[in-house]
Amino acid sequence: MIKPSLELKNLSVHYGHKRVVHDVNLALEPGQTLGLAGESGSGKSTVAMSVLRLLPRTAHVEGEILLDGDDVRTMSWGRLRAVRWASASIVFQGAMHSLNPVQRVGEQIAEPMRLHGTGGSVGELLEQVELPLGKARAYPHELSGGQKQRVMIAMALACGPRLVIADEPTTALDVVVQAQVLGVLKRLVAEQDLGLLMISHDLSVLAETCDDLAVMHRGELVERGRTREVIANPRHPHTAALTAAFPVIGDPAHRWAEPAPEPQPLLEVRDLAVDYGRTRAVDGVDLTIGRGEIVALVGQSGSGKTTLARTIMGLRTPSSGRVIFDGVEVPRKGKALKAFRRQVQLVLQDPASALNPRHTVHDAVAEGLRVHGLADDEESQVTAAVERAELRPASLYLEALPHELSGGQQQRVVIAGALVLQPRLLVADEPVASLDASVRGEIVALLLRLRRELGLASLIITHDLGLAWQIADRVAVMHQGKIVEQGSVEQVLLNPTHDYTRALLRAVPQV
Amino acid sequence: MRLAGRLGGAAVSLLMVAVLGFFLFRVVPGDPVVSMTRGRPTTAAMQAELRTQFGLDRPLVEQFWHYFTGLLRGDMGTSFTFRRPVADVILERLGPTLLLVGTSTLIAVVLGLWLGVRAAWRRDSGFDRATTGVSLTLWAVPTFWLGMLLMMATGDLFPSRGMRDTDTAPDFVSQALDVGHHLVLPSLTLVAVVCAEYVLVMRSSLLEEMHAPYLTTARAKGLRDDLVRRRHAVPNAVLPAITLVFLRFGLVVAGAITTETVFSWPGLGLLFYDALTGPDYFLLQGLLVVTAGAVVVMNLLADVLHGVLDPRVKVV
Repeated sequence: MIKPSLELKNLSVHYGHKRVVHDVNLALEPGQTLGLAGESGSGKSTVAMSVLRLLPRTAHVEGEILLDGDDVRTMSWGRLRAVRWASASIVFQGAMHSLNPVQRVGEQIAEPMRLHGTGGSVGELLEQVELPLGKARAYPHELSGGQKQRVMIAMALACGPRLVIADEPTTALDVVVQAQVLGVLKRLVAEQDLGLLMISHDLSVLAETCDDLAVMHRGELVERGRTREVIANPRHPHTAALTAAFPVIGDPAHRWAEPAPEPQPLLEVRDLAVDYGRTRAVDGVDLTIGRGEIVALVGQSGSGKTTLARTIMGLRTPSSGRVIFDGVEVPRKGKALKAFRRQVQLVLQDPASALNPRHTVHDAVAEGLRVHGLADDEESQVTAAVERAELRPASLYLEALPHELSGGQQQRVVIAGALVLQPRLLVADEPVASLDASVRGEIVALLLRLRRELGLASLIITHDLGLAWQIADRVAVMHQGKIVEQGSVEQVLLNPTHDYTRALLRAVPQV
Repeated sequence: MRLAGRLGGAAVSLLMVAVLGFFLFRVVPGDPVVSMTRGRPTTAAMQAELRTQFGLDRPLVEQFWHYFTGLLRGDMGTSFTFRRPVADVILERLGPTLLLVGTSTLIAVVLGLWLGVRAAWRRDSGFDRATTGVSLTLWAVPTFWLGMLLMMATGDLFPSRGMRDTDTAPDFVSQALDVGHHLVLPSLTLVAVVCAEYVLVMRSSLLEEMHAPYLTTARAKGLRDDLVRRRHAVPNAVLPAITLVFLRFGLVVAGAITTETVFSWPGLGLLFYDALTGPDYFLLQGLLVVTAGAVVVMNLLADVLHGVLDPRVKVV
């Protein structure tokens, strides 16, 4: 029998009385690739960090963590430092400050090699991750998200470890860049016959990369098996919920939007152009959103989606072109603009940062009313909006502060803040991207119900084609400031005509 | 281009300082000639003569032009009280101030940053609590009171007045030793008062960085704790502190009015005090221009240095 490169026996982790990991048993043989899935708070990252004993001092760890047969938990500090990075290394989420901002990335890659006295060169490592040699002299902020993630991978391979732990390595990257980074990681793991433990909340990413899959739920390991079998026949209800939450494009079961009759136009964008200095961010865009229609605007980061949305909302003045709302050109200043803004409300990606941490739910929702001088009968309007957003009964939530709410509840508060002004169009910028899989479905359902009950139209900005399939009536694909393709969801996502749409669809990880 | 912008900004600030220096002392109530001759019997004719002598009888615009062109040549007028050019008086006092305030700021910076790093790294330890507590106490204590307390506590160990004794041998070594001896108490007072700020800024800045993900990366690489601190945490955390240090350096020139007064240290601080009691308008005007100018220049240096140390800021 081969000795596993990593074996967890009855691993439990407590913070005080709070149990975050409970009795986890897991083994990883050399060269094996294992995905560890779970939502935030499931304990998956705690498991990853425990392997190199990187948990904070307050963590109380029980059980055995065997790395090549040695228990990490009882190692001396000296031995532990020698094992770190040399036996197992970690690919952190590079886009999120995992690199030292004031040190050149080449220096950061070379640091563990010098420390552990292993050979190898930064140049070779950069070549392996397909980065030009010159990038060694760059500082992290000079690199794109995808490039930073490649640097993280190069750094993880610097000392030739046999096991690599990847903690959400592609979260926050857009779909095309994600596909490239996953490609690099997969190739290197295969070429060098590395063991890989990959942690993600996204089952489709794990399905792309790992042969085996384990699912964690509330600190416990609920399922483990071959990736294909687990996804095809989930035995635990939580696994089933996770697989269901990631829509499969083309699967009618994942298409939640009911077909809408041909709608009257609500918002029309005609030949719109927006410039930032000399850069043309939005270039000759035509787009129509009907009454009660849900339109998905998809594209990579930097494609101009957000600029287009901001211009539609009257937050930016277009260089040329027209925006017509309900038959009238959108005013560019004064009271009329303010009145228009009331009818178009914004929902942002990250509810935690969109809400003022010191404002109660009541304050957050009522703010719009106060700004627009509609504050008479504030109490009942706020209550109604909060209940519309399915925080029931409202009295339970009105005095709560954001940090007392879950991510899904916070997003509902943001939506309630938009609803209270009785808008006719909702502009949602990645409304579910920072939410857990199970919550994501609820928010999507909420947006669809609002459309059904209030006739509320939505413009959903996303890089997630699955979300577009789930919720939208029509899709517009944006690339380098232009809309390269638009039409009904089925038309665009099932029979794309533009090369860029095809490229986007190819980059979507397949379950 | 950014550097040019900063230089331009600094130049504009300096010009504002010069203009403000002039008009500020023209709008304060009181007649300079009256205060100049206070306590002495004077006739109206004598006052008129003084007015002519200092150019106070000319129209305001002409006075300003005279002042401004003089300033460009380094001429800041004549002090009423010293009966000498203001520039000479200030220059003479600059050395002692730079010695006292420069030395203590340097010590306070090094000590304060070091203590701040240690305190933050071992947060809530006995060391942290002691450092923070003592710093805050010293910061809150009035400077003159602390100075007098030190004088009493040390007894005759260190001189407490002036910068040198009159009976010291004229050779360089004995002079230097004498000045050093006189320097102990005032600089100790200043360090005690100023250090706290550096401790607290460095501490809070490092505490903010303590949970930064790149420190986890560094630990995972197998770095020893002190290397994680020295190579990764401190270079990031020290950036806000650097700005503060340079802003403080700008104030060095202004001297430490209370400390210099308590210990009769013949620097700019004491000069400020004397000029205020006059009040000696031309001297105050000159002091304002010099000290404010120093702050502007140090601000500029802080900006440039921040750009050199932090690759994310592009100044040059």
